[in-house]
Amino acid sequence: MNLYHRPGAQWLAYLVFYVVLAAVPFVVSDNFLLNQLSTYGVFAMLALSISLCWGFGGILNLGQGIPFGLGAYGMAMTMQMQSQDASNPMPPFMLNNSLDRLPLFWVPFWNTGVGITLALVVPTLFCAIFGWLMFRARVSGPFFAIMTLAMLSAWGTLILDIQPYTNGVNGITPPAPLKLGEIVVDPYSPAAYWTVLALLVLATVVAKLMTLSRFGLVVQSVRNDAERVRFLGYNVAGYETAIYTISGFFAAVAGCCWVMLTQYVSPAQFDTTFSLSMVIWAGIGGRMSLMGAILGAFLIQGAQSYLGDAFLNTWLLILGGFFILVVRFLPKGLIGLVESALGRLSSSTGGKTDGNGVSSIRSRLLQQPGE
Amino acid sequence: MAVGSFFTSFDLSAFINALILGISIASIWLIAALGLTIIYGAAGVINMAHGEFIMLGAYSSYMLQSFLGFPFVLCVPASFLIVALVGLVLERGLIRYLYKRPLDTLLATFGVSLVLMQGVRLIFGSDPKYLAVPPIFSSNIQFSFVNISVFRVVVLLVTLGIVTGLWALFYRTRFGVQVRAVMQDKEMAASFGVNADRVYMLTFALGAGLAGVAGSLFGVLNIVLPTMGASYVVQAFLVVVVGGGTLAGSVAAGGATGELQSIFAYFTNDTFARFLLFVLIVVFLRIRPQGLFAPSAKRR
Amino acid sequence: MRTDRRNFMKATLGAAAAAAAPYGFVKSINQAWGAQSWIKKGEPIKVGLLFSLTGGLAVPEEDSTLVMQYAIDEINKSGGIAGQPIEPVIVDAKSDFNVYSEKTKELILRNRVVAIFGCYTSASRKAILPTVMAQNHLLYYPTCYEGAECTQNTICTGPLANQHSKDLIPFMVQQFGKKVFFVGSNYVWPKESNKNAKVWLQQAGGELLGEEYIPLGSSEFGPVLNKIREAKPNFIFSTVVGASDIAFHKQFKQEGFKVDSMPIASLTTGEIETRAMGNEYGAGHFLSAPYFQGLDNPTNHKFVESFLKSKYGKNGVTHYNMEETYLSAYVFKYGLEKAIAKVGVEEVTPRAIRDNTGGIKVEDAVSPEGLIWIDDQNFNTWLKPKIGQCQADGSFKIVKSSAEHVAPDPYSIYPDLGKCTADGLKAADGKVRKGVI
Repeated sequence: MNLYHRPGAQWLAYLVFYVVLAAVPFVVSDNFLLNQLSTYGVFAMLALSISLCWGFGGILNLGQGIPFGLGAYGMAMTMQMQSQDASNPMPPFMLNNSLDRLPLFWVPFWNTGVGITLALVVPTLFCAIFGWLMFRARVSGPFFAIMTLAMLSAWGTLILDIQPYTNGVNGITPPAPLKLGEIVVDPYSPAAYWTVLALLVLATVVAKLMTLSRFGLVVQSVRNDAERVRFLGYNVAGYETAIYTISGFFAAVAGCCWVMLTQYVSPAQFDTTFSLSMVIWAGIGGRMSLMGAILGAFLIQGAQSYLGDAFLNTWLLILGGFFILVVRFLPKGLIGLVESALGRLSSSTGGKTDGNGVSSIRSRLLQQPGE
Repeated sequence: MAVGSFFTSFDLSAFINALILGISIASIWLIAALGLTIIYGAAGVINMAHGEFIMLGAYSSYMLQSFLGFPFVLCVPASFLIVALVGLVLERGLIRYLYKRPLDTLLATFGVSLVLMQGVRLIFGSDPKYLAVPPIFSSNIQFSFVNISVFRVVVLLVTLGIVTGLWALFYRTRFGVQVRAVMQDKEMAASFGVNADRVYMLTFALGAGLAGVAGSLFGVLNIVLPTMGASYVVQAFLVVVVGGGTLAGSVAAGGATGELQSIFAYFTNDTFARFLLFVLIVVFLRIRPQGLFAPSAKRR
Repeated sequence: MRTDRRNFMKATLGAAAAAAAPYGFVKSINQAWGAQSWIKKGEPIKVGLLFSLTGGLAVPEEDSTLVMQYAIDEINKSGGIAGQPIEPVIVDAKSDFNVYSEKTKELILRNRVVAIFGCYTSASRKAILPTVMAQNHLLYYPTCYEGAECTQNTICTGPLANQHSKDLIPFMVQQFGKKVFFVGSNYVWPKESNKNAKVWLQQAGGELLGEEYIPLGSSEFGPVLNKIREAKPNFIFSTVVGASDIAFHKQFKQEGFKVDSMPIASLTTGEIETRAMGNEYGAGHFLSAPYFQGLDNPTNHKFVESFLKSKYGKNGVTHYNMEETYLSAYVFKYGLEKAIAKVGVEEVTPRAIRDNTGGIKVEDAVSPEGLIWIDDQNFNTWLKPKIGQCQADGSFKIVKSSAEHVAPDPYSIYPDLGKCTADGLKAADGKVRKGVI
């Protein structure tokens, strides 16, 4: 059997990867690098959520910026309210926008616990409702992708328009880092780094267990042939909504972490380019593999940070071209290369193969993902 | 601005002007969506590079006008040909390998859009360009209290012309019969000797060319920039989705959404009108997921 | 498939270990940089240029980078600052707020620049301010903005909302009539500018007929122009920005509006915008800005000529935003020289530069727009707004220049919130709040 497909080997790969990441602060004393890696961690969480929804559920979601952005706004509101007090209850931008009272929907964010809970619950709930509406109506495939795109624009537009409550395009800038009880989470500290990493590990473990569970199998069958699963008596819309919602929840967690690291949120989080780049991370890394998607985020963002300035104007050209090549020739992403390499290895070391192992790499790469 | 503080008082003549403007907005959205519609309708490809095809159309016109001195009226058909050629190359080189993977065509064309946008930026720079038009196009028509600019009328007429042309092409020619046959069932059509590959190729080129026409018109209304396509493409997608991917559907959907946008903008403001429209579309799709006029063929 | 239990246990244990790692551990790592000085004797002085060189914001911001490099070359040629040359660290913010934030951290933490020149939109400024403030660093923000902000870490060389339209509104009311319609892009700066404009309008005895905001980047002005046609104002006051602004001017003409009877008085439509829309659409309209390429004074003639001839002048234009950027380089130079004289080269911190910048003057001989100085309380600029009218060839003719310098006041329309002072926002009850953003 191909080593790549053995859960044991997969868990081991995760373990090695995360232990290395967790050790970084002991080796490196560069605040900037830590902060940068933490942001990549947030992006990896987003790529993971896309992989769940798109790779395993077959639901291409171009609007993952919605749960991410809503989570980020929730967190930013929470952190903003930490800087206000009873004598000065309103964020400065509201005073400029001639509000004379704290708007009702801001009030719960006084309490950090309630605020963070809302930051996670609201986007999740939105995904559940929107997903249910769409999947019940059997909107799927490209149509669903376009609808998520439209919904993304709608949210971005709305948040821009209600400037007195959200500060419009300037966004919310909490002046101080997040305080959890007595602890101040300095965004440049190893503590912030480990927090993000721990959440990423948790998300990975939960996602991996889910894909191995019975629920995960049904979701993958829905991806392969929704009609057949429906005839078998499963509630397809229910499964689709569930995986879409779970993926949205992960994105909301990522949104919270992101604001913890940058102390800033704006309607730019609802830009289509941002949501599409999440899909690019997962697509290039390998959407059918959680690990692939996570590595994709690290790889692309790392390349953008370190090569982007060197290439300047050609960077987008390279990224776009690379993405086209991956979609055309490597539907399983870069991790697909590892898969076929390991496949050749296990077949050449004499293990019993499924017959595919001896075929050339090229023919394996051209296999259609189940859609 | 807060919701609720900005409702305009009702005034009949202004409202009629808003309705007329709605027709114009509808024609702009429709012409932006036509290319997308036939590519989706015939080949099932959601072309994310559609906005960049529009942009290419504008740049083709700009190039022809400022380097070769073409008059604007000639630039429009010329940019049809240029962008159709780009579409043809793209279809042969990339899209035809992906027809069985509709979601992947969406992604691949997104990659194409990045490449096109950045490529144009490299060649022409990121500063905006403009298209010069005959003075008659920058005047307006006034009839009692009704006002409309000549160029909006031009866009409307071009749109009507193209819709009529497409209708004739699909329902009055042999090629049209082939396209409709392939739309309904590719295998069955192939077994009757229709070359589906060729049909896909030609419709893709046709769709791209139509985007080129739209682009050269938008270059006059708006501004020629590498990013200009993005401001039209979301509306174009919505027109296709609401219409269900057929020509008649897109005409109806373009008309309805354009009018609603103008009416909402009349009563509230532009930003809020846009939000209302998006929400209405989501609700509409909940009720009619197949769109206004769904094709009789199997859904892709 | 079967979950391998042993490896799963390992994975969860690893996760738990990572999660349980004590907070604040390795805190000392964070302070590793603390002892180093920002400028070393005999080495170049590093400054960061944080502008977008690619993407949608590149149109104004690439010019800012070019003019900044030009100014740095000019300063270096005349001996640098206290004998040390300036070295720009140029990064590309890619028109993406996430990248602005990342690059700011990189410039401060990794490159150890002593000051950052950057940003064009308020949104990008807000994105980087938390970092700049947390590091007690210094941002030179070389463009116009809305005010209502009181950090101790920014120096702005462009006009505030309270300066920008102060002369324009009375001028237009006097020339064309009392009735005005406000059109703006839908975001913070136009709304704040309009609030200020309303104050001047009231003083001039004008009448506001309507106020409309267009989504950023939108190119459909039909509904707004219909509303303007109904309202019949004497002139339009516009704070529409970017590509929308160009669409607005084009459709204004296409819909049959006449510039003679209803001109647009804008805070944004300068030389670059006019060139992009075609001169026939721009001619006749008005702009208020502290600087125009056509300003008639020897310093400006020299600046325009030598900049356009230099390798940075390839775009063939000098507009207000570029000139404000140019000024910021000199404000930096003078401030740093003063700081060095006070505390010594190796002891200079970004904050020390800022503390020595209050009251700094850029004289007629250096400043193309004429004498300006930095307010010693809120660190914005005292300047003279000027009004230009666009001519048929796309240049601007100066029709009015303010007699006196106008004071910057970020809280002019919010007197209840207090006054911005060097230490923070001072409320009426004497309480001072630092870092209000």
